Amino acid sequence: MDTILTFKNVNAGYGRVRILNDLSFEVKKGEVYGVIGPNGCGKTTMFNALIGLIIPTHGEIIYDGKNVTKMKANDRCRLGIGRTYQVPRPFEGMSVFENCLVAAVHGAGHSEKEGRRVALEALKLTELYDKREVRAGELTLLDRKRLEIARALGTEPKLLLLDEVAAGLTEAEVKDVMKMVATLKDAGYSIIWIEHVIETMVKSTDTLMCMAQGSNLVVGEPLEVMNSKLVEEVYLGGVEDDE
Amino acid sequence: MKKMKSSNRDTVRVFGGWPLLIACIVIVAVLVVIGFVGENNIRRILIRMFLYCAMAVVWNLMSGYTGMTSLGQQAFVGIAGYSMAVMTSTYLASYWVGLLVGGAIGAVLALVLAVILFRMRGMYFAIATWVIAEALKTFFLSWKFVNQGGGLSVMGRPTDRTIIYMVALLICVAAIVTVYLLLNSKLGLGLTAMRDDPDAASSVGVNIFKSKLICFVVAGIFTALAGGWYFLNNVSIYPNSGFGNSWTVAVVFIVIIGGIGTMAGPIVGSVVYIMLSEILADYPGWSNIILGFIAILVILFLPDGIIGTLQKKLKFEILSQKRFSQE
Repeated sequence: MDTILTFKNVNAGYGRVRILNDLSFEVKKGEVYGVIGPNGCGKTTMFNALIGLIIPTHGEIIYDGKNVTKMKANDRCRLGIGRTYQVPRPFEGMSVFENCLVAAVHGAGHSEKEGRRVALEALKLTELYDKREVRAGELTLLDRKRLEIARALGTEPKLLLLDEVAAGLTEAEVKDVMKMVATLKDAGYSIIWIEHVIETMVKSTDTLMCMAQGSNLVVGEPLEVMNSKLVEEVYLGGVEDDE
Repeated sequence: MKKMKSSNRDTVRVFGGWPLLIACIVIVAVLVVIGFVGENNIRRILIRMFLYCAMAVVWNLMSGYTGMTSLGQQAFVGIAGYSMAVMTSTYLASYWVGLLVGGAIGAVLALVLAVILFRMRGMYFAIATWVIAEALKTFFLSWKFVNQGGGLSVMGRPTDRTIIYMVALLICVAAIVTVYLLLNSKLGLGLTAMRDDPDAASSVGVNIFKSKLICFVVAGIFTALAGGWYFLNNVSIYPNSGFGNSWTVAVVFIVIIGGIGTMAGPIVGSVVYIMLSEILADYPGWSNIILGFIAILVILFLPDGIIGTLQKKLKFEILSQKRFSQE
């Protein structure tokens, strides 16, 4: 399989605080790539560097054959990197439909007429179609998370970044999310998925990476990674104490 | 009229399309007729109203839609006023040249300032714009070419006030139409998103810098055109009148009273402001205190301004840039 994304020895952070430490990994086209790791290990920072909200101080990010390390966020979006935020950040004053329309018009470069079609499709895929005229600020948490995904889909990404889309949801809702991710994978999207719910990650991902202190600790088959001693130590902090 | 389900309870009615267009045309037609037959005092008041309205509409575009709260728009007013004076008195050109040169310099000034100002957000942006305007005032106070603090006269003012009236109306209508079209374009869609969350907007592809730049330059041009035309009508300009912060005070007052972030707000606000300032003109010492007091009352009790509050209470939107999933 081809590679869609490569991180090569990336250092990045906020101001003088360095969060990512020589981070390297590769994501293949069409796979669901899971990322786990303790709080503060740099998962979300990795996304921020990947979409261009922060610029690495060292190393390279290669997306789809292009070096995007220093590219602006909106240009990367045009190339097909779409993200969701851990804490949903809808455009609250706009309707659900308008949220996706912004993405389709600005992110995918459509006219408003064509964007309308793309936006509505994204809303159908994420089961928000019936709520399309509701103000985004009035949505429930699950629907906000759905809107995050819908808005990212509106940009017509090739690589979709999911930041804890299952966090804070009930078990039934998590299953909905897992189903949605499976649908997206079948539709051909490459996906990087950050999540804390380990069980979900083992079931839904093709490759799993565990991060610690801003770098790549273990990568491999999800089950393998979960069973690795290193992960136990750094992330789970002694499984035997847990249920 | 379109209806939109904005929550499970509320439905928002949107006034737009033909009825609104016809209403606007009728209003403009009435104003044109007043320009020809109205008495001089009415026309004098309306000229001021048109020019303040133009400045307020573009200031609202900047502050209400992109979050760039400039407190230094008098920089553009002063530059354009001086362009008008220098062109007509120093170079003896016509006032048309003065107007266009003012507009062009306004555009260039906006482009240059953007490079410096766009590195800042919020409060820092506001203070920086103010400082720049003050610096320009100080510079003009000592610049020999423009007669330092002694000011300049505008020459060749048309004897017929109708021309001044019509052009003022044109600048005002052009500003409103431009802002309306901008907000209903692709760019406007991005602006509304940017206002809610600039980082999220940029990660769904909105080009923040370009959007801000277009708004800032459009605001610069119209503020300059209105300012230049104001000083043609006013006949003379001094650094303290051209670059005085009373311009910004007036414009902020208008937009806040009318309703920031609404298309109709600055229009209604400028009517209210001009009426109040005419009434209070007989009490020069008190007028600013009373205006300030009114502004405080509005901010406390109608934080969305007149139009903003009406739209919320009566659940309608006028001159809206809302998009619907069905055409």
